Amino acid sequence: MAVSDNRPFFLNLLKIHLPVTGFVSFLHRISGLLLFIAIPFSVYLFDLSLQGSTGFDQAANILAHPVMQLLGLLLLWSLLHHLFAGIRFLLTDLDIGLSKAHAVRSAWLVFVLELIVLVLVVAGIKL
Amino acid sequence: MSAPGLQGLRPWIMQRISAVYIALSLIYFALCLLLADSFSASGWVTWVAIPYNNIALGLFLVAVLWHAWIGVRDVVLDYLPNVMARILALSLVGLVLLGSALWGLKALFMVAIK
Repeated sequence: MAVSDNRPFFLNLLKIHLPVTGFVSFLHRISGLLLFIAIPFSVYLFDLSLQGSTGFDQAANILAHPVMQLLGLLLLWSLLHHLFAGIRFLLTDLDIGLSKAHAVRSAWLVFVLELIVLVLVVAGIKL
Repeated sequence: MSAPGLQGLRPWIMQRISAVYIALSLIYFALCLLLADSFSASGWVTWVAIPYNNIALGLFLVAVLWHAWIGVRDVVLDYLPNVMARILALSLVGLVLLGSALWGLKALFMVAIK
């Protein structure tokens, strides 16, 4: 190792101040991975729900379990964040909103929109 | 020289085409759910059995799995520099996705021919 290399090296997550645009990007990846993990279980529930009324009730019962409700909420958030952040990335590909001010504003908009839709969907399910 | 199947541009384009199809499908599915007057076992099966919905769901499944493959592939290539680890991880991911594809398409097919 070079002796002269004495740059500060730390990956203390509390000391890394990610800008809001970075959070959107980081969470886009995390939510994508969560959605990937959910695929086989979702396919299982989809298949089960189509097995007549018994299967449908079984699937409904699984989803009604408190742990599943919590996981469902996490996955719903993942889906919404992945969707809105994804639309933002697609617009970036089309060179829309590239200035720093616009990028920061659209990043906040992603968080606001996903929160609003999340609340609406949860309220809609509970009603 | 690039490894077969691991080029950059084609997956990049497919990632975006599948993303648009997935987003549009989600809007359609959400609208159907909102406009449905009740959510019952028979109504659910009937809805899935409608040819248009059945095919749309099948395409949705393929688009999601393709999209997931490219996304997870990128994550694996970012964080796993070791070739053996890459092969192992990508094989596992491919197995899970292909299995899910066959299972999901089978479920759709069984409803369609009922």
